[in-house]
Formats: sequence, C-alpha cells, structure tokens
Amino acid sequence: MTELIKLENVAIGYEQDPFVDFINLSIEKNQFWGVLGPNGSGKTTLLKTILNLISPVSGTVFFHNELVFGYVPQNEKFDPIFPISVCEMVSMGRYSRVKPGRRLSNIDNEIVMRSMDSAGISHLKDRTFSSLSGGEKQRTLLARAIAGEPNILVLDEPTASVDIKGEAQIMELVRNIQTESKLAVLMVSHFLKTVSEFSDHLILIDKDSNTFLSGTKIEVLQKESLDKFFGLNLNLD
Amino acid sequence: MEILSQFINSYFLWRDPMIVGAVTGAICGFLGVYIVLRRIIFVSATLTQISSFGVALSFYLEGIGLTIFSSLIGPFALSLFLTIIAAAFYALKRDFSRISREGVIAFGFLLASGGVIILGDRITKGAHDISTILFGSAVVVDPIDVYLIPGVAILAFVIHLIYYKDFIFVSFDTESAKLFKYPLRRLNALLLITVALVVAVSTRALGALPVFALLALPALSSLYLTEKLKLLFVFSIIIGILSAVLGYFFSFILSIPTGASITVCASIIFILSAGWRQIRFSI
Repeated sequence: MTELIKLENVAIGYEQDPFVDFINLSIEKNQFWGVLGPNGSGKTTLLKTILNLISPVSGTVFFHNELVFGYVPQNEKFDPIFPISVCEMVSMGRYSRVKPGRRLSNIDNEIVMRSMDSAGISHLKDRTFSSLSGGEKQRTLLARAIAGEPNILVLDEPTASVDIKGEAQIMELVRNIQTESKLAVLMVSHFLKTVSEFSDHLILIDKDSNTFLSGTKIEVLQKESLDKFFGLNLNLD
Repeated sequence: MEILSQFINSYFLWRDPMIVGAVTGAICGFLGVYIVLRRIIFVSATLTQISSFGVALSFYLEGIGLTIFSSLIGPFALSLFLTIIAAAFYALKRDFSRISREGVIAFGFLLASGGVIILGDRITKGAHDISTILFGSAVVVDPIDVYLIPGVAILAFVIHLIYYKDFIFVSFDTESAKLFKYPLRRLNALLLITVALVVAVSTRALGALPVFALLALPALSSLYLTEKLKLLFVFSIIIGILSAVLGYFFSFILSIPTGASITVCASIIFILSAGWRQIRFSI
C-alpha cells in the first residue's frame, strides 16, 4: 500500500477557528473514499485542507512526494462569461505538469485528446463549456482531472446537477477511471446511496457535534453513527 | 466626397495621431478582454483616473515652482509610477476587512477624480492640457508617442504571448491555479501592471475617457460577436483599431473632440454588436 495523504491530529476551520479537530486519516493508492455529512458540516473545508488550498488550524498534513491531484470542482463555480471551449477546459488539467510560461507540447495535447476520448466528450471539443448540460460539464471536468495523470482524484459533489441516468453514467466513468489507472478517489457527496455503493472507505463529518468518523465502509456504516449524523432513525436492512 | 479628399490630402496632420490611436485601440482592445472577463471594468476606469491624476500632479508641481522635481519626475513618469502602484495594490491586496473590493476600487476612482479636478483648478499653466488628459482632444500628439506607444504595446503583447495560458488560467480558475502551485499573486500583478503601463502611456496621449472606452467597449462588443476565446481577442483588437480610426476621422471632418469621438464610435459598435446578436438569435 502506498500512502498518498496523511492527516495527523488535524483541526480544520478558518482563521484559527477550528470546527472539527483531532482528524486522523490516511488515504492510500487504489482506495475509494466517500465523504458524507449534512449541509454545512465541513465537507468542503476538509476537502480544501486535503487539497492544500487552505492550511489546517493545527496538526499536520503529509503529502506523498509525487502526489498529483486531479480535482473536479462543482461546475457552478465557473463564470459563464468566459468562452472557454471543452478542449481548452480539458487542456487546463494538464497545467499541473506544465510550468508557467511554457506551452503544452504535442505529447500533452495527445494526452488531452485521450482524456476527452476516455470521458466520451471528443465530439464536444469545440463547444463552449457554459453551453453544456450538467452531465456533459461533469464529464468535461473529469476529463480535465485525468488529463493531469493524477494519482488521486478529488471530486466535489460530482453528481449534484445531473439526473439519475447522468449520475449513473458519471459514477460508472469514475469507477472505470479508478480501475484502469489504479487511482485513489476522494468524493464528497450528499447522496448516501451513491457514496455507499461506490466507496470502499467512508468519512462522516459534522461540525455541529465536532465529530469525525472514518474507516472502511463496514466500520462506518453502522446504524448508530448514521442515526447520529443524519438525525434519522434508519433501517439498514 | 470633397470632405474625404480633403481628409486624405491632410494626411500629414492626422497620420501620427491616427497611428497612436490605432495602436492604443489594438492594445487596449486586447487587454480589455481580460478586464471584461475578470469583471474588473471599474479597475480600468480607476487606473485611467489615477494616471490622469499623475499627469495633473506633475503639471501642478511644475506650476508651484518645483521645476527640479518636475524635471526629474515628468508627467509620464509620475503617471506611470502612480498607476503601477495602484495596479499592484489591486492585484495583491485582496482582503479589505469588512469592505468589498469594489468599494476600495470606487474609493480610488473617486479620490483620483476629485484630485484631478482640484489640481486642474489650481494649475495656471497648462489648463488646456488637463482638459486634454481627461477628455482627449489630442489632434496632435507628442512625436515621442509615435514610438513610445507602439514600443509599450509590443512589450505588453510579448509578455501576454509568453504568459497567455497562465493569464487565462489564473483569471478563469483561481482555485486550480493555486492547487497546481501557480504563482497566482505574481501573475495577477504582472497582468495588471501591463494594463497600468499601457494606461499610463496612452492616457497622456489620448486622454482618460477614450482609453477607458477602448479598454471596455471593444471587448464587450466582441462578447456579442463570438463564443470562441481566441476570436474574442481578435475581434476586440479589430474593434479597438476601428473605434480609434473612425473616431479620429469623424473628429477631423466634424471638428469634434477626438476623445469623445472615439468613445462614441466604440459605443456605436457596441450597440451594433448587441443588435447583431439579437438578430442572430431571433432567426
């Protein structure tokens, strides 16, 4: 097992104001992690701490030397005024390996084309990103994430703006990418069913009760913990 | 027809201002794409006002007898210095406590505008120049501008050619740029400093109003005409040149202020572009 990211006694929050602390977590190659929690529970803050976009309030986050992130943000965050084409969008995923001031090489462009093929969006390459449907946007963002040849794929609510059919297609695509490239996956979602179906490891987080629970799916998906997190009397049968 | 031949025969009068105007139109049109896409149009308005304030301050210092100071820091140098400081401030400083970024930009605009009017009132010599700086009635340009403005435009264009992908990336997706460890602050500062440089040299030659118009309107018009990023730059450059050239032409034949003429031409192209989009989508 190769450890890609390790959190040791980490407290997450903003401006020295921790809302969940004593987080210990180890993400290894080929694992599929799902992150669950109610609205405003700190899922996105945890994700941004893992991505090193914000610093932990305390504790240490260790990253593997050769760690390359493939990040799929929520598609609503992109300003539709930018007339970025699908091809230009996917090319940006390659920038993790191309320094500022350098251009994409022919090899980079080939990888971009291959990523679009893998995501099934080659026919959309000249379309403007903002004109795509929710499902097409997510596939484009997935292609962009894999164009950087990452060793961990981080997805923030990848099925939030798609219908049931689109959700199934995107999750299948994520599973295929993980299987083929032997990536680690970390996925934030509201949907317990989606996360529990595809993940082998789970994180439950809730800042209101300062609770963080992580482990294998079987360890975490216990009636008591789900009742506590979602405030529901669930029947797991 | 007679007016046109009179215009052509007087080419020695309008040749230099037309070159300066066309080059300014091209580079402002190009840079304007970033300004419009990043939704910082008001930053460009503020930078043009601060640039004007720099020129006015230089005239004022000369007027009160600080000739040694003003010869060391001429209108261009002082304007350039203040505009670059302001651009760097807006690029690097993001957190203004409880006040929004727009509020601080508005503060800069209002302070510079008020300063220009106060200094303009106090300047005994060169009052006409102040009016030129603000509204651009420059039918005659300083001979040095014929070389200086294209030189600065080429410099800015080369910087943008080298960092094209990076400027687009940090403008479009700040979060991923940070994730990929791109030097966000340095790239943002470099982008705004190229804008400041162009604003400082062109405001002195054309005036604050037409420079602001050329930074905003060609790019806005182009957004109506194309949905391709690279074409957006091409169209914006063409519209910038067209606005400046037509502005000078109408200014010459109708004897109207050049800066206002450029601004109105750019505005008419904007209206036509909006109409074109309306027609295209209604068919």
